[in-house]
Amino acid sequence: MWAAACAFLIWIAACAAAIPSSSHATAGPRVMMDLVRERFPLLVAIVLASLPLGLAAGCVRRPASTGGAPRCSVARAVCGGGFAGIAGGWAFGKWMEQAGFFPLVAGLVRSDSAIVGVALHFAIAVVIGATFGLLFQREIRGLGSSLAWGAAYGILWWFLGALTLLPLISGHVPDWSYVHAAALFGSLVGHIVYGLIVGLLYAAVDGAWIWLFERSDPLNREIEGSGVSALSALVRGAVASVIGGLLFSIVMLMTGTLPRVARIVGGTSPAVGFAVHLIIAALIGATYGVLFHHEAIDDRAAVAWGTLYGLIWWFLGPLTLFPVLLGGTFTWTTTAASDQLPSLIGHMIYGIGLALVFRALERRHLQELFVDARLRRRWQRRRRPAGTSAPAVWLFFIGMSVVLPIVLG
Amino acid sequence: MRGTIAIGFSCGIVCATVVWIIAHPFAWWVPVAGGIAGAAYALASPRRSPFEDIVSAAALAIPFWALVEVIVVPVLSGQTPKWTDVEMRALFPAFIGWLLFGCMLGAVLHVVRRLVPLAAHPVNAQPPLGPTRIVILGGGFAGMTTAAKLERALGSDRSIDITLVSNSNALLFTPMLAEVAGSSIEPTHISTPLRTSLRRTRVVRASVSRIDLDAKMVAIDSHDGTGLLRQLPYDHVVLALGAVSNFFGAERIARVALDFKSLTDAIRIRNHVIALIERADLEPDSAFRRALLTFVIAGGGFAGVELAGALNDFARGIVADYGNLHASDVSVIVVHARDRILPELSATLATYARERMEERGVRFVLESRVTDASADTVTLGTAEAIRAFTLVWTAGTAPNPLLTTLDVNRDRRGAVVVDACLAVAERGNVWALGDCAAIPDGRSGTYPPTAQHALRQAESLAHNICAALRGQPLRPFAFESLGSLCVIGHQLACAEIRLPLVGRKLLFSGVFAWLLWRAIYLSKLPGFDRKARVLVDWITELLFPRDTVQTIDVT
Repeated sequence: MWAAACAFLIWIAACAAAIPSSSHATAGPRVMMDLVRERFPLLVAIVLASLPLGLAAGCVRRPASTGGAPRCSVARAVCGGGFAGIAGGWAFGKWMEQAGFFPLVAGLVRSDSAIVGVALHFAIAVVIGATFGLLFQREIRGLGSSLAWGAAYGILWWFLGALTLLPLISGHVPDWSYVHAAALFGSLVGHIVYGLIVGLLYAAVDGAWIWLFERSDPLNREIEGSGVSALSALVRGAVASVIGGLLFSIVMLMTGTLPRVARIVGGTSPAVGFAVHLIIAALIGATYGVLFHHEAIDDRAAVAWGTLYGLIWWFLGPLTLFPVLLGGTFTWTTTAASDQLPSLIGHMIYGIGLALVFRALERRHLQELFVDARLRRRWQRRRRPAGTSAPAVWLFFIGMSVVLPIVLG
Repeated sequence: MRGTIAIGFSCGIVCATVVWIIAHPFAWWVPVAGGIAGAAYALASPRRSPFEDIVSAAALAIPFWALVEVIVVPVLSGQTPKWTDVEMRALFPAFIGWLLFGCMLGAVLHVVRRLVPLAAHPVNAQPPLGPTRIVILGGGFAGMTTAAKLERALGSDRSIDITLVSNSNALLFTPMLAEVAGSSIEPTHISTPLRTSLRRTRVVRASVSRIDLDAKMVAIDSHDGTGLLRQLPYDHVVLALGAVSNFFGAERIARVALDFKSLTDAIRIRNHVIALIERADLEPDSAFRRALLTFVIAGGGFAGVELAGALNDFARGIVADYGNLHASDVSVIVVHARDRILPELSATLATYARERMEERGVRFVLESRVTDASADTVTLGTAEAIRAFTLVWTAGTAPNPLLTTLDVNRDRRGAVVVDACLAVAERGNVWALGDCAAIPDGRSGTYPPTAQHALRQAESLAHNICAALRGQPLRPFAFESLGSLCVIGHQLACAEIRLPLVGRKLLFSGVFAWLLWRAIYLSKLPGFDRKARVLVDWITELLFPRDTVQTIDVT
């Protein structure tokens, strides 16, 4: 992940080097965007080059110790990741079926049968899921961070799979131009959704495994059951979401999207839309509390995880679930993404507001708990230590989530 | 903090030059925004490895770009936010600029923080004072809730030290005690360990042997009475020692009667009943067998009636497993001094309870007292002698006898007289509540010693102790009972609920009242895990017969 984040930064630096030379004040935005788009193949190339470099660096220098993280196990990684891969593959398959993508996948084995494509798709999904477990088992400490790693891993596989390996194995020269990448924007969202499901399910399976076979051991018992802390995090998340939800509602009011939200429950008025929006915000906020309550150890991490979670819901909400709830189907296109750019900003603001208020509430709660030295020690054991690749995931996912819809649109 | 802000702000201004170069040449607001971003970032993040700092700052620069370039600057310029696709593409150079600004800020701040260590926080010249010690005596509803409420009110204030002394390491949820005796619920499921419920309170399992109000010292013994453990000095002491059974001086009764106040008592009663049924199964003499299967309960209040209902169901239910016994051999007798049972409830409900319980085989002897008892006979005030090997005493309680050693005012029951704020008037920093306190109710009487009142008193007391510590005015205790619930047998209960504002009472009976009883007491049972365990017990009871395994030797 560090290598992928560096690749992104190098590409940004390359674009920066191009912009002053074109004298943006006179060239105009269209010309500048063309310059950036011209460098899109460079982004693909650098990201792909970073993968073996990152893998090699990771093999040479093992990731930093993650404190009280459970013991790593290859069997757990492969089984959990493989299972998660199947579920993620099923969700991604829905879009591939809709887009008629399966015969293209079948082309990898010189076939044009959709059934072969489906089988191959699931096989690939299982392999990617298993590698996810193997690569990131050490880094993942909970459902929230696993979601983030999953989404970033999905984006990496879009560069590697859809843009490169698929045409290469099918006997074509990979086309890394932004035009081709834009045509595969649906595949990008599919990869992200796939990554999110893989990340979530992998962490759930892994967590259940650890809970059943390690934490249930009385010798490893914590003084406060996980159920108690999760429930209180759920409530704090829901409370914190009110601020984030209100900030987001300003964006919705300005863009006139509240009546559309009201259509979910068959209404049309902005007031109904506002109520529905706040309920959804509270539900998402509650899940943030449960998913990330061991992750945000300082305000910096809180803003980063909050932004990331907001962006995840931009992919899941307006691009995926919202059209489905209105009786349509996914809108994983650059046009839809361009239309939803104000919502992207709104989701980021929502995420930041939610995360900061949640952090403030949690800090107050922890100050009370930390009078008990046992709870302080437990918290220190469970929280994410310095040195993991979380900042790289923040940069890679947040950067790509903002850059790709803008550049490919 | 000021140093951190100054360093962050300066670094932010310096790094903002990259945004000038790439996106907004010499725009005045760029260094301002950069400075603010730098200060906020320096405050929000501790120093990590250089690479981590650079990448983190770059990641956070993206939402900062969205906030500043897309929203704040256009809005401050009187325009709408620039969030359409065309406008955001036009802002892409600024995106690159702020991203590189983030990289530079992370790197520069890391280096500066390394070179300029911030001045250490000034050391407080005053020596720290010792903590204020609050000692709570008793781990029942009153004591435990006081500790929990104090923990909540004091938050992270480390200048207060709370100690709770209890002769049990768990809070017993007494409303469900009869169900333990009746084998409906596993014994430990209605007890919540004090150490898992209280976070910052030091729990001491011991018996209080002496309270010295002059020296402000409490002497504690080991809970089994094997010797003096230590002395606990205090600044505030809370008397929540609860009550003990009152046999009114009848020593022979006290020797043979089973108590019904603790978890051990309930377990003992259950095992005693099972032992007698086992013995009765082998007994050829029918009169003696009947005596073995006769269970006398002295007292027709809540405890006695609930226990009678539970024992009646349990004993009559399990004889089905014994080939030589029949349910009609079992006899459960409640002896009560007044003309009706359940004096706490309205007459209608009391009559309903008696009639339903009689239908289920419970016999009531009213307007009579147990005057004597031996191992196999219970003698009543009417000179009637009941041949029975079981007598359970629920006919009276008295405040903890330790209170008689204190030089304070006590009422007729022996409870410590306190003012409306729960403070012992003649002694500073001595507080009392629950069964061992006589609290004026404002109507020339005192509040009844019930768990419902103890919980509210604990809340009020915790507030008043905190107020006393902070020099704030105290709040007098005032509470109107919310009602009463009593379970009288299988899926039967009586409920009297008071409507708070109207003042009217609603009466319920039968299955609905029973469901109400279960729902209310399950919600009141402390601890989510205990709730789950009791719920599982109740579901298990629906599907399988009650457990008749003897867990202790009662002979």
